[in-house]
Amino acid sequence: MDGYIVGTIIKAILVLAIISALAGFGTYIERKILAFMQRRLGPMHVGPYGLLQLAADGIKLFTKEDFIPSGANKFIFMLAPVITAATAFIALAAVPLLPEFNLFGIEVRPIISDLNIGILFVLGMMAAGLYGPLLAGMSQRNKWGLLGSARTAIQFLSYEVVTGLSLLAPIMIVGSLSLIDFNNYQSGGITHWLIWQQPLAFILFIIAGFAETNRTPFDLLEHEAEIVAGYATEYSGMRWGMFFIGEYANMITIGFLAALIFFGGFNSWGFIPGGLAIILKVSFFFFLMLWVRASWPHIRPDQLMWLCWKVLMPLAVINVTLTGLWMMI
Amino acid sequence: MSKNEITIIIDGKECKTQEGEYILNVARANDIFIPAICYLTRCSPTLACRLCLVEADGKRVYACNAKAKEGMNVTTVSEEIMEERRAIMEVYDVNHPLQCGVCDQHGECELQNYTLELEVDSQSFAIRDTLRETKNWSSVLHYDAGLCIVCERCVTVCKDMIGDSAIKTGKRGGDAVDKAYKETAPKDAYAMWNKLQKSIIVPSNGTEHTNCSDCGECTAVCPVGALTERDFVYKANPWELKETPATCMHCSSGCQIYYETRFDSIDNTEEKIFRVKNEWNYVSLCGAGRFAYDFENRDAKKDPQALKDAVEAIKKAKTIRFNNMITNEEALMLQTLKEKFGVKLYNPYARAYQKFMEHYAKESGHNLYPNDYKEIMQECDFVISIGSKLRNDNPNARYAFNNVQKMNKGSALYFHPVGDKLIPTFGKTVETFEHNPGDEEAVLYLILDLFADKSKLPKAVVDYLSKFHETRKKTIKEKVMKDVVEKVVDKETGEEKEVKKKVPQMVEKEVEYDYNLLVERVGGDAENFNETFEKLNKKKTSYALIAGEDLYYHPNSDNIARLIALIEKCSDMKIVFVPPKGNSMGVSLICDLDDEAEGFTVGYNEPGDYRLSALGDGDIDMPAINQQEGTMVIMNKRVVPTNAALEYNGYELNDIMNELGVGKRLTIDWTEELPLEKGFQKVKFDDLPNHYLNDGTEVRGYELSSINSRAKGTNPRKIDDKTALKSADIAYRSNPQRQFNDFTDKAHQIFEKFALYASPERAKELGEKVEVTINDKCITLDVIEDDRMSGSIVEIPDFISSADVISLFGDSRYAKVTIKRV
Amino acid sequence: MSMEEFKDRNVGVQNYRMLDLEPNPETGMDKFKQVVKRSVKLELFTGLKVTFREMFNALFRGEMHTTKYPFEKLPISPRYRAIHEMKRLLESGHYRCIGCGLCEKICIANCIRMDTRYDENQRKEVSEYTINFGRCIFCGYCAEVCPELAIVHGGRYETASEQRASYSTFEDMLTPLDQLAQQSEYPGFGAVSADADEKIKKTPLAY
Repeated sequence: MDGYIVGTIIKAILVLAIISALAGFGTYIERKILAFMQRRLGPMHVGPYGLLQLAADGIKLFTKEDFIPSGANKFIFMLAPVITAATAFIALAAVPLLPEFNLFGIEVRPIISDLNIGILFVLGMMAAGLYGPLLAGMSQRNKWGLLGSARTAIQFLSYEVVTGLSLLAPIMIVGSLSLIDFNNYQSGGITHWLIWQQPLAFILFIIAGFAETNRTPFDLLEHEAEIVAGYATEYSGMRWGMFFIGEYANMITIGFLAALIFFGGFNSWGFIPGGLAIILKVSFFFFLMLWVRASWPHIRPDQLMWLCWKVLMPLAVINVTLTGLWMMI
Repeated sequence: MSKNEITIIIDGKECKTQEGEYILNVARANDIFIPAICYLTRCSPTLACRLCLVEADGKRVYACNAKAKEGMNVTTVSEEIMEERRAIMEVYDVNHPLQCGVCDQHGECELQNYTLELEVDSQSFAIRDTLRETKNWSSVLHYDAGLCIVCERCVTVCKDMIGDSAIKTGKRGGDAVDKAYKETAPKDAYAMWNKLQKSIIVPSNGTEHTNCSDCGECTAVCPVGALTERDFVYKANPWELKETPATCMHCSSGCQIYYETRFDSIDNTEEKIFRVKNEWNYVSLCGAGRFAYDFENRDAKKDPQALKDAVEAIKKAKTIRFNNMITNEEALMLQTLKEKFGVKLYNPYARAYQKFMEHYAKESGHNLYPNDYKEIMQECDFVISIGSKLRNDNPNARYAFNNVQKMNKGSALYFHPVGDKLIPTFGKTVETFEHNPGDEEAVLYLILDLFADKSKLPKAVVDYLSKFHETRKKTIKEKVMKDVVEKVVDKETGEEKEVKKKVPQMVEKEVEYDYNLLVERVGGDAENFNETFEKLNKKKTSYALIAGEDLYYHPNSDNIARLIALIEKCSDMKIVFVPPKGNSMGVSLICDLDDEAEGFTVGYNEPGDYRLSALGDGDIDMPAINQQEGTMVIMNKRVVPTNAALEYNGYELNDIMNELGVGKRLTIDWTEELPLEKGFQKVKFDDLPNHYLNDGTEVRGYELSSINSRAKGTNPRKIDDKTALKSADIAYRSNPQRQFNDFTDKAHQIFEKFALYASPERAKELGEKVEVTINDKCITLDVIEDDRMSGSIVEIPDFISSADVISLFGDSRYAKVTIKRV
Repeated sequence: MSMEEFKDRNVGVQNYRMLDLEPNPETGMDKFKQVVKRSVKLELFTGLKVTFREMFNALFRGEMHTTKYPFEKLPISPRYRAIHEMKRLLESGHYRCIGCGLCEKICIANCIRMDTRYDENQRKEVSEYTINFGRCIFCGYCAEVCPELAIVHGGRYETASEQRASYSTFEDMLTPLDQLAQQSEYPGFGAVSADADEKIKKTPLAY
């Protein structure tokens, strides 16, 4: 029992540290990829190939003056970024990150807690993450912030529905809410991947995932041309950094979910070992998000809602219905 | 000179003018443009540029030289005329340096203007250039012969207006114009070019340097950048300079000037006066007006303690001593102080004039002299100057005196104890008389004798005058034609013939003539005076009398005033006075001056126990004339404004007045308060104009009105024999030509020293340095020779107030002195 | 002169080329068709393809556009108007400026000032010349008005400095004497046009 607690704590700290670092690294990658796609070089001068740029940015974020607007609700203002970051990391608790492996003779399961309702927990936590931007925008007494938080509310709430409905069909097929079960269900090689059975569910999930993580083409929450920086308008320094880390952690989470649910998880893939396979898959989804950002314009809020309620949600319902019918037959 | 109103038509426009006026002047007065480079209003036509070619009644004439006749029809522009003019400008442009940017005239250059105006866009003439060297003619004149277009405007103005005739055209040594151009070039352009190739401007005394009064008028009239002020050469560009219309206050002429200011340099952005400009067609400046401009009180600061001290000093003062370098407004403030606090106002520079004018007003019935200098220049052909050292006292009186000789073919009589070699050069009909100092009464009696209508004169005066006439005999040589019979032998025939011939022969003859003792008394050649006077007076119609400063200091100035009033009444002579330097007319009208200073004295630019000073050396700073607004009364009897050209940061007299509780908001608020009973008007300062119109009308301030009363017309007393100073060493209080006061002395371009001036012979006798004792007081002075002076009288200047020369001389301009070589 | 072009105030409209866009869908069915068409035709992926291609080209085919600015500099146009240069006479090495003050006059930012004086050789000497580069708007008028082609704009555009005074001085602007041979004529604002010779009339010379 003690070992379990110690192990969990160690795993939690490791996940927190690694994912935080990756989130930071993600910003570097994002800037590089976007630069390449625009035939630029991106950060080059701090460290080799600009690698230390993220360290420089980190130092900058930590040392920047942290100020709170005079009319803001101080407590909530200070709390909001913590909610975003915390929910993002808590969601990762139920996500198996790598296959099991042996370290110094101890069998390590790289999941903090294998809940039997893993997917539900992850989705729930990500939904709870809504409070971060919402409270941030409402507490800062800034109209751009308020508009940003309003957009947060409608966007996150709407797309929760699509995420949930789109995942319902795979859940029906697998018959479990544990992500490990999903992984195991697809252990039979590439042909067993759920994507082949549920392509529509995947498409709906990935679209909703973009919206949930506030990525282009759905980055309306802090669309600077319209509402300055939205809910983050008045934030600076590390508080703002926490929103950032939360966002990138969420991107990674979505990447893991997509890989685990539709793309065979951490099962070894031909000659590629499972650990590497899942990292490649997550990396691809991360890259996809950047790629999309480089390619596509974003849409209007009304189009966002139209897409959600008139296209995606009906398609998800149809998909669930058809899956149910198919299973009955 | 009688002048009839006539009407001529220029380019279809009817123009009213007077007979005898030049077409060019008529056109200018009526805003019709005729190009002309060489012509100067108020001077004789030069006919150098030939640009003013016009057609008058179908005949080609030069507008500057052709006089208007009734009904004349003038065309100023036709194709042929324009062709001529264009060719002339082309010729002017031959070999004229093209780097206009370097030149100081660049931007206000008439060569540039007319080249563009006449659309010269190509050159069809060429000639080899001659090396023409740049020269510094004097301490202020810079001549760049390379730029000179030999329009001779400088020569003309120097001769006709200034009277120095210091420059003339000389040999250039250029190539002769190619004869081939005679066919291609228009006639006038070819002729002008031929002349241009031959001449250049040189000092007329044959040396490298001009010997003149350094007035710089030649630099003002130069249409190109050839003649410039040495100090200004290559310093600034005309367009950078900000013009401030002002009035020069050094002498009493009150010439209109423009101070031209700009930031000093890159390192020092304070405003600085770079030069003084004038409307040279209508007013001519002297050297002080043009070059003594940087006398500003630059570092004045507001020091409240000094202001407190000044207020205390004025409260304590028994006397305020000041001179004429103040505006009417300041004079009025001082007068207010007198009225409120009972201080005495002591101004020795204006007091004598004030007293004299009081006498004059009583005798003549008006408090101002009846005529002005402009009238003299336009109308008179006979001027008489008495009691004024014309060359030094007032440049504009001298210009008028000279201008009459040159422009009106006039004659002149010049009476002054100090011999002057320049005056006779003004014209062939100028007679100078060196009389004894103090003998001015005799001179005035002589004038009465010569010019007054005897029937109008009081019997006593006629009788008195007749006593001076004696009939004497003299032998004269006469040319007589005598018949001579000669025997001539014919060479061919051998016959003898008697031929009658007329041969001139000088015969001595004794004649009786009228000997005038007055002429003898004033130093003239009484024996031949009648003939001389007849020559002078030939065809003369209009007379003028310029009465100068010596008369005011004459012991019998009341009698002098009577004599002048009598001359005015009994002859048609125009009378003008030469007021003492500065704003003496304004001061004498506004202030009740006292004869003596006593007790604690506050000096304003003058010595005193407490000193207000615009020179920066007093106990409290005051603004200099170029730093303040105000008005002055000028010699032509106008009240004219002057504006501040430079910033002033200290206190003004008005601030002290405010502290005393009798001030106004601004100094110029006093302008309206100037005493109406003295002829001033209630006009706001800002409503006073200060410019000239195209026809030369002086639109400056307003004209002072004369206050008339019943003329007393007392018979003058007989000549007082005691007043004449004879023999001994005599000193005359007079300033060198460009010096008038401490301010001119402060200016960096005025070099005349505070010293004893004497004629060359006298200077040789005196050596380098002398100690002069005047009225028991000693002063040590350097001796400077003035080669235009003659005789033994020496001049001692009074322009430095701290030397207090005026007190040394007391109530006279002449003093018996003892001079000791040091 | 025809005033037609001034009367037509639809500036620009007539020159636009309209995109061949299909008409906006009006009925619900049309909208549905449009959505299906766009989704099935996968138009979105065209965009992805383009960006990926560009990244590929940039990384592997050397088509990266970035110039590493402080280390690499692009050549700039001769008409570029950066910090001024004062040219010298090639023969004597004396500066060309004659001190005419035209640049001072025309400068709309009022940032040029010069001190001139009469020198020992009886010539106009420019004793000091300053341009307040903090105020200069680099409009090029000074170069255009200069009758001697003495003041021209150079290519030195890096003007960041701690003090305005260190932007440039007269000496900095002058061509260094040892580089006189490399001094090139200025082809930009105010330069003599290529056909200048044809435009002017020749002045006869009698030498």
